Amino acid sequence: MVGNMVKNKCSKETMVSIISRDILPVLPGKIRELLTELPGEALDQIEEIRLRQKKPLLLALTREDTMVTPLGQLTGVPEFSYVVSENDMARAIQLVSGCSIYAFEEEIKNGFITIRGGHRVGISGKAVLDRGRVKTIKNITGLNIRIAREVTGTADRVLPYIIDPVSKEFHHTLIISPPRCGKTTLIRDIIRQLSSGVPAIGFRGCTVGLVDERSEIAGCFNGEPQKDVGIRTDVLDGCPKAEGMMMLIRAMGPQIIATDEIGKQEDAAALEEALNAGIKVLTTAHGADREEIVQRPVLRYIMEQRIFERLIILGRSRGIGTVEDIVNLRDNKSLVR
Amino acid sequence: MFKLIGVCLTLTACGYIGLTWARIYEKRPQQLTALEGALQLLETEIIYTATPLQEAMKHVSQRCDPDISELFRNMAAELEKTEGATAGEAWERAADDFYSGTALNQRDLHILKRFGASLGVSDREDQAKHLEMTRSQLRLASTQAETLSRKNSTIFKYMGFLSGLFLVLVLY
Repeated sequence: MVGNMVKNKCSKETMVSIISRDILPVLPGKIRELLTELPGEALDQIEEIRLRQKKPLLLALTREDTMVTPLGQLTGVPEFSYVVSENDMARAIQLVSGCSIYAFEEEIKNGFITIRGGHRVGISGKAVLDRGRVKTIKNITGLNIRIAREVTGTADRVLPYIIDPVSKEFHHTLIISPPRCGKTTLIRDIIRQLSSGVPAIGFRGCTVGLVDERSEIAGCFNGEPQKDVGIRTDVLDGCPKAEGMMMLIRAMGPQIIATDEIGKQEDAAALEEALNAGIKVLTTAHGADREEIVQRPVLRYIMEQRIFERLIILGRSRGIGTVEDIVNLRDNKSLVR
Repeated sequence: MFKLIGVCLTLTACGYIGLTWARIYEKRPQQLTALEGALQLLETEIIYTATPLQEAMKHVSQRCDPDISELFRNMAAELEKTEGATAGEAWERAADDFYSGTALNQRDLHILKRFGASLGVSDREDQAKHLEMTRSQLRLASTQAETLSRKNSTIFKYMGFLSGLFLVLVLY
C-alpha cells in the first residue's frame, strides 16, 4: 500500500512534464497557450481534453470538468469560456496525426489514434460507409485527448496466484471484468512483470508475445510500445487477434501469449493452437462474473474445454481495479476467500 | 596591349553571362522532371507504406535527385519543429526557402504550393489523386520548359558572346 502511494505521488509530479512533452505538441497554438497559462495543480488533474467544434474547450479533471477563459483561467460559465474554432479543429487533427491522416486510416476507422506517449485521441465526426462498414470519418468535429497515466504495481497482488509457487510456471489465466474496471491496466502490468521477471517470488522473466489489436495494452506509436510492457515482450500492434497469435507462435517463439478481449470464433481456434504448441495464455474478456461470460457461445466453449487454469474477476466494489475473486478453474475453488 | 586584355575580359564576361542564362533555361526542365520523380517516390511512401509525412520526406530527400533534395530536407526539418504548423504551412515555408536556389519560375512554385495545401489532410485514395494531379502538372510544365530551353539556350549562348563583341566594337 505504501509502495503504491509513493508511486502515485511520483506519477503526479511528472504530470506537468507529461503534458508538455506529449500533449502540448499536438494542440493548436492558441489552445497550447491557454493550457500553459493554467495553474500547476489544475494541469496535474487533467484526465481528458475535449475539443468540439464551435463549443467551449473542456478539461475533464479528476472530479469534475471545467472550461477555460481566453485568458487561461478556469471557469464554469460557458459564456466566458474559450470556444474551439474550425481552424483549431482542423489544426488539431493534423497535429494529432503528425500531418499524415493517410497513415492512420485503420485507427480512424476504429475511432481513435494513439499518439506519442501512448495517449489516445478519440475522434468523432461524419462516418463514411463502404458496403455497410465504416470506411473513414470525415468532417471531424470532436476530439477527446485522454491522458494516459501509467500505474505500475497493480499486478503485485495477483501474481502469487497465477504463478505456481513450486515449479515457477505461469498458469493459463483469464481476466474478466466489466468495462472501466482496470482490466487493461492489470493485464499490462502482469505482462510487464512476467516479461521482466518478478524477483520477489523468484520468477525469472520469460518471452511474451503480445497481440495488441486495439493498441491499448502497449499503446504503440509507430509500432514502438509507449507503455512499459517488459524487456522480453514482442508486440504485434494493430493485428487481428487470431491471426496475430498464429504469427507469433510461428515466428517469435513466445512462452506466453497475451491478448485482450477474446470472444470471436477464430480466437478460440487460435487459443487451442497456442495450447497445442505448449504456450501459456493470458487474456481478458468482458463480463461481470462467470455466469455472464458462459452465456456467450465462444467463451462457453473455451470454458468447457478447460483451457484456463486461473480466473481473475475484477470489479469496483472497493474502487476501480478491485480484485473480486481469483478462482482455480481446475477445482473451481476460490484462492482468495 | 591593355586594350587587348580589355577586349578579352569583356568577351569572357559577356559570354559567361550568356552561358549562365542558357544554363538556367536548360536546368529548369531537368529540375521539373526531377521533382516529378521525387513526387513519385513520395507517392510510394504515402500510398503503399503509409509512412508518416516527416519520415516520408526524409526518405524522399535521401533518394531523389540531389539537385532538388533540399525541398524535402527543408520539409522534414519544418515538420520536426513542434510549433503547431500544418503540413500545408510547413510545405509553403520549405518551398519558399528552396525556390531561390533553383531554376524554377513563379508558376512552378505555384504548382508546388497548391500541392502543399492538400498534403497529409486526407486518406490514401485522396492523396493519390492530388499527387497524380501535381505530377501531371509538373510533367506539362517540364515539356513546355524543354521546348523553351531548346529555343532559348542556344540564343542566349550566342547572344552573350555577340553582345560582348558588339561592346568591343563600339568601345574600340
